[in-house]
Amino acid sequence: MKDIYELLNDVNLDDNEFEEMAVTEFEKAKVKSRLKQSITKKKKRMGWKMNVAAAAVVVGLSTATVGLTFPAYAGNIPIIGDIFRFLDNEKTGLYDNYKEYSTEMNLTQESNGIEITINDAVFDGETVALTYSIESDRDLGGDLTSFNTPSIKGATGAAGSSYISKIDDHHYVGLDKITPFGLTSDSADIKWKIGSILQTSTGEKIKGNWKFAFSLPATDSQIQLTNQSVEQNGVTVNIKKVAFTPMSFIVHYNQQATQQVREKWHEAYIELEIKDDIGNVYSGEGNGGSGTDAYTVNWSKTFEKLDPNATKLIVTPHVTFRIHDASNSGGVEITSDGKEKEIPIPVKTGVGQEKFVMDDIVIELEK
Amino acid sequence: MKSNEENFIKRLQRQKEDALEFVVDTYLPIIKGITYKVLIPLKDQGIVDECINDIFLSIWNNSKKFKGDSTDFRKWICTIAKFKAIDYHRKASKEVEFPSDYMDRNTDVSAEDELILLEDRTELIKLINQLEPIERDIFIMKFFLGYKTEQISKKLGLTNTSVDNRVYRGKKKLYQKVTTLELGESRA
Repeated sequence: MKDIYELLNDVNLDDNEFEEMAVTEFEKAKVKSRLKQSITKKKKRMGWKMNVAAAAVVVGLSTATVGLTFPAYAGNIPIIGDIFRFLDNEKTGLYDNYKEYSTEMNLTQESNGIEITINDAVFDGETVALTYSIESDRDLGGDLTSFNTPSIKGATGAAGSSYISKIDDHHYVGLDKITPFGLTSDSADIKWKIGSILQTSTGEKIKGNWKFAFSLPATDSQIQLTNQSVEQNGVTVNIKKVAFTPMSFIVHYNQQATQQVREKWHEAYIELEIKDDIGNVYSGEGNGGSGTDAYTVNWSKTFEKLDPNATKLIVTPHVTFRIHDASNSGGVEITSDGKEKEIPIPVKTGVGQEKFVMDDIVIELEK
Repeated sequence: MKSNEENFIKRLQRQKEDALEFVVDTYLPIIKGITYKVLIPLKDQGIVDECINDIFLSIWNNSKKFKGDSTDFRKWICTIAKFKAIDYHRKASKEVEFPSDYMDRNTDVSAEDELILLEDRTELIKLINQLEPIERDIFIMKFFLGYKTEQISKKLGLTNTSVDNRVYRGKKKLYQKVTTLELGESRA
């Protein structure tokens, strides 16, 4: 026996008699999110054993996929509300609390049929993180890149990263992080002038003129001076201070190396691993650093929100010594007459790379 | 892996959610068109939204029953949309107290419509299954999809009289079968 859906399969209708109606991206997103809920509810009605498994999976998945698959756009639509988490893709958890402490900007600039909206921005005292969305009246194709990074008044230099993710042909969201160096004030005055967006796959430049200017006060932070060091194999790592913000903590540290290390290796690279005394492992992202050479550098790294129950931070530095060769390093110098001159890699005695783990630095947290 | 024009039907039948999204992205304009046309006189956006949700949910839950390629798929979901929209219209117009200018529309609800509303759906479908294929199509078009006799005759290349005759004969058959069924009994 056929049921109604099979019967309807047999009725060969002429689908041209039906008219299509215009649908906005928002409507699509709405229909999808509602459907998703209905499906979830349905799944939960399975047998009790399945029920537990399904519910667990569904919960796990839905937080991860809602952002991904049901994005909505610009600040006024709640579904993608948290671009920080969306772009982090629930991977590190570093940005889980950013939205909460960020300032909703909703600054929109329109140029050449493309609207760029700065959705949220936050300055933790070290790094400015801002999220934005791009909405266009036409299909912009694959991935986009913006070249101009925001500039911060009073900074002598900056490190940063920029990432734009495609939602669909007309919508993109992005996250820019800028760590200014030498900034003395506790607010960041940001100017962002975007002259063009690059379509990465085709190399096509989309010209426009988008300009933003705004000021962000630093979030409250509590700074704990530590000055604890560890020295091993000719490398010294010193944790200078840790700044605790409501959504993260930032570890400021520097590294030094002895003459022997300098003679043997081109580079000493430090990666910090941080745990606390109650078993949490914190994931973080480096903010870049500056220094006099490849061995003496001041770094900072931002980690996810501190567990309020933690009383100690356990920092384990991982050191990598590296030798540079043509495959991992190199550069050219352009001389005043316009010719390219290869910069020679100085000869060192080390071979390949060498790794080791330093002793833990235990920081007693001040409460 | 993502759904595309080539693989979305298979993925939908395997209950991959991205296939459902693909279907929404691709077919929402036509589904919306169909639903609005039928339900707009009700002036109730909530019912329209609910109906659209129900249509996609039915597509999702019954995807395995679909057979054919993407051209057939479009036809199939259009048919489902029409069927659902008509169904919602019937139910809503039964419940709603009509303002006076809708009174004559209300008289359109025929005895057959009433039957469909009153009868248990599955029971009715069982009965329809026992009809000849051509009668079956006519019945579905007329009572599930709300087509007029003229539209049906055009589609099936029959005369109006022949369609009406088949409806008449079919109804007779159904009534006989209904009356021979005991209370609670059903025919597989």
